[in-house]
Amino acid sequence: MNDLRAQASAANLTGRHLLGIEGLSVLEIQALLARSSYFADILTGKTKDDSLSGILRGISVVNLFFENSTRTRVSFEVAAKHLGASVLNLSASGSSVKKGETLIDTAVTLNAMHPDILVIRHRHAGTPLLLSKHVDASVINAGDGRHEHPTQALLDALTIQRKCGQIAGLKIAICGDVANSRVARSNLYLLGALGADVHFVSPSTLLPAGIDQFGVPVHTSLETGIKDADIVMMLRLQTERMQGREIPSQHEYFNLFGLNMDKLMRAAPNALVMHPGPMNRGVEIDSAIADNAEKSLIYTQVEMGVAARMACLEALAQHAERTR
Amino acid sequence: MSQKILFINAHILCPEQKLDQQGWLLAEDGIIRGVGSNSDPLPEAKDIAKIDCKGDILAPGLVDMRVQSGDPGAEHLETLTSLKQAAAHGGITSMAVLPSTEPVIDTAAMIDSLQLRAGRIDGPSIYCYGAMTKELEDDQMAELGMMAAAGACAFASGTLSIQNAQTMRRIMTYAAMLDKAVIHHCQDTDLTGEGDMNEGETSTRLGMLGQPAAAEIVILKRDIELARLTGAQYHASHISTAGAVAAIRQAKKEGVKITADTAPPYFMLNELSVSGYDAACKLNPPLRTETDRQAIIEGLQDGTIDAIASDHVPVNLDMKAQPFTQASTGASGIELLLAMTIKLVKTGTISWLRAFELTSQFPAKILKLEAGSLKPGSRADLVQINPDQSWIIQGRAFKSLSRITPFEGQPVEGQVNGLWVGGVQIALEP
Repeated sequence: MNDLRAQASAANLTGRHLLGIEGLSVLEIQALLARSSYFADILTGKTKDDSLSGILRGISVVNLFFENSTRTRVSFEVAAKHLGASVLNLSASGSSVKKGETLIDTAVTLNAMHPDILVIRHRHAGTPLLLSKHVDASVINAGDGRHEHPTQALLDALTIQRKCGQIAGLKIAICGDVANSRVARSNLYLLGALGADVHFVSPSTLLPAGIDQFGVPVHTSLETGIKDADIVMMLRLQTERMQGREIPSQHEYFNLFGLNMDKLMRAAPNALVMHPGPMNRGVEIDSAIADNAEKSLIYTQVEMGVAARMACLEALAQHAERTR
Repeated sequence: MSQKILFINAHILCPEQKLDQQGWLLAEDGIIRGVGSNSDPLPEAKDIAKIDCKGDILAPGLVDMRVQSGDPGAEHLETLTSLKQAAAHGGITSMAVLPSTEPVIDTAAMIDSLQLRAGRIDGPSIYCYGAMTKELEDDQMAELGMMAAAGACAFASGTLSIQNAQTMRRIMTYAAMLDKAVIHHCQDTDLTGEGDMNEGETSTRLGMLGQPAAAEIVILKRDIELARLTGAQYHASHISTAGAVAAIRQAKKEGVKITADTAPPYFMLNELSVSGYDAACKLNPPLRTETDRQAIIEGLQDGTIDAIASDHVPVNLDMKAQPFTQASTGASGIELLLAMTIKLVKTGTISWLRAFELTSQFPAKILKLEAGSLKPGSRADLVQINPDQSWIIQGRAFKSLSRITPFEGQPVEGQVNGLWVGGVQIALEP
C-alpha cells in the first residue's frame, strides 16, 4: 500500500456529500489521505504551492454548527481560507433556529443563498443526511450525535500515517466512552478499511449494544486492551451525552480506564497517544501523557485536521464546479 | 316496512361459524337473518334488494382495536369524519379509540361527548376506551365505573405504560369487578430512556440510543403476574418482541386470562427500515429485529396473538420532517390494516378465516362488542372485498388527514368494494 504518497491533484469522490466513512471506498479514503498529505507538507513548510489560495476561489462554505464546537469549526474555517474560499459561520445560538424555525426551513433558506458547501454539526444522528436531501450544496458531516465524524477519522489516519509510515498492520486501541463516541465509529470503519488491527477498550456500561457484531475485539480492561498497541487513542468521556450514571465516579473511571504512564507501559515500546479533544485531564488521560511531546500526538492531530479538511473541501468543491 | 338485502355470488367468510364458502347472505333491518351456500335455495321475497358480489369476499367488517383519534385536541391531524371515512375505506366497521387525546378521555362526560359527536357522523362505529388513570398520569385510577356505565368498551392508556405495579394491580382488580378488559402498552420507561429505535447493532451503527426488547418484556411479565393475582382480563397491545410472544404463550398455557394484539409494522418490517433515518419508521414500540418479526408471525399463526390492530397514530409532515431523534412516533395505519392482513394470507402465512379471526371476530370478543360475526342475529356489519385487486400505497391518497406511513410505495392487494354498518351501506368516496 503506497499510502504515503502525496497527491498533487484533488481527490475524486463518487458522492456529492461526505456524510460518513461508512460508504466510502478504500480508494476514496486513500485519495483523500494522499491529498491531505500534500496539504500537510505545505502547512508544515516542507513544500510550497503558490496556487493554493486560488484552489477554492469563488467557492462559498457555510459552517452550520447546531452544537457547540470551537476546534472543528475553526479548523474548517482555516482550511477553507487557506484554499481561498469565502466562509460564513452560523451557530445555532445566533440564528433563527432559536426563534423556533425548523431545521429544514433553515436549510431551505440557506439553500436559496446558493452556498457550495455546507459543513454541518448537529447533536442528533442523521441530521446531515436529512439536510442533504433539502439543499443543492454539498454537505460535510462535521459530527452528528453518536453517529459519525468522518473528517476526524481522516485527520487521525493522516496523523498516524505520517508518523508511522503506514496504517496496515498497526495495533490501534480506541479506549473509553465508545457508546457515545462518533469518533470511535468513524475510526473503526476507516482504520479497519486500511488494514489496522483495531481494538475497543471500554467499561461494559459504555459499550454500545451489538458491538460484538462489528468484528472488532472488545476489552473491558485497559491494561489488556492496550497490550502491545502501537497507537493508544483515548476518547473523551462524553458526560454531556451520557444518559445517567454509567460509571460509579470519574475517580473510579480514571483509576480503571484513565491512561497514565504506568498503564502505557503495557503498550508497544514506541506507542503513541492520541485524543480527539477536548481532553478531560485526570479523567481519561493524565496530564503527564497529554503534555509529553514524545508520546502525545494530540497537537499534531489538530494540525493535520486543517490539512484533512482542505482535502475534503476541495474534493466536494469539484462537484459544485461541475454543476455550474 | 322492513328492509331486506340479499347478497349473492359472495365468497362468505365467517370464522365464528367456520364458514368459507361460495354463497349468499340475507340481512333484514340491519340484522343478519341467514347465510347459505350456492347449493342452498336463495330466499325469496317481494321487497328484497339484491346485491351481486360477483365473487368478492363478504365477511364481517373489521374491528380495529387500536386507533388514535385526532379529535379532541388535534383535529388538524384527524377529525372524526376523516377517521370514519378512512376506516370505511380500510374495511373497518368498528373501531376503539384510545383515551390519549387532549383532553384525556378519563371521565364519563368525555365518553358521552365523544360518542354523541361520533354518532352524528355516518360511517363505522366508534367505541371509546376509558383512560386507566386520571389525565393518564401514573398513579391515580380514573373513574372507571362511571366510564363503564357511560359505555367505555375497556380501559387503556395510549402509549403510557403504568410503571407503578401497585397502581396497575388496583386498576386490574377494579376492571375485573366491572368485567372490562385492561389494554396495556408495555414499556419500562427507565430501560427505554431516550431511545429512538430498537437497541442493537443497527442502533449502534446509526449512532442512536436504543430501546432494548427487555423494556417490553419486563412490564409484560409483571402484568402477567398481576393478571394471575387479580383474575383480570388483561390484553397486551401492539407487542413487538419475540420475548413477549414467548411470555404470552407460556401464560396462556398456565391459564392466565391474557390476550394480545400486534400491528402490521411488527410483522412486515424490521429495524433495518430505519437505516436511512426515515422518520416514517419511527414507531412506539420501535421496529425490532428480523428474529422478533419472525416470532410475531409465529404468534399470529399459532394463536398466541389474538388480534391485529392498525395502531393508527395521526401525524403530519411537520412532526416527521425532523432529525429522527426529534421526530414524533407513530404512523397512519387505519387504511392499511386489511391490505397488510391480506398480505399474510397471500403469502400463505395464515388462512382467510384466521385473517378475519384476527381482525374482526377476536377483537370484538375481547372488547365485548356486537360485531365480528355473520351468525344469524348478528348486526349486519359487512365488508365486501375484491381480494385480487392490486394497488400501491400512497400516503397522499389516504382519506385520513394523516398521510405518513412506513409502507409508502409498497404494492398490496385487496380492494374494499362495499361496506355496511348495521345494514346501512356506507358511501365510499372515490
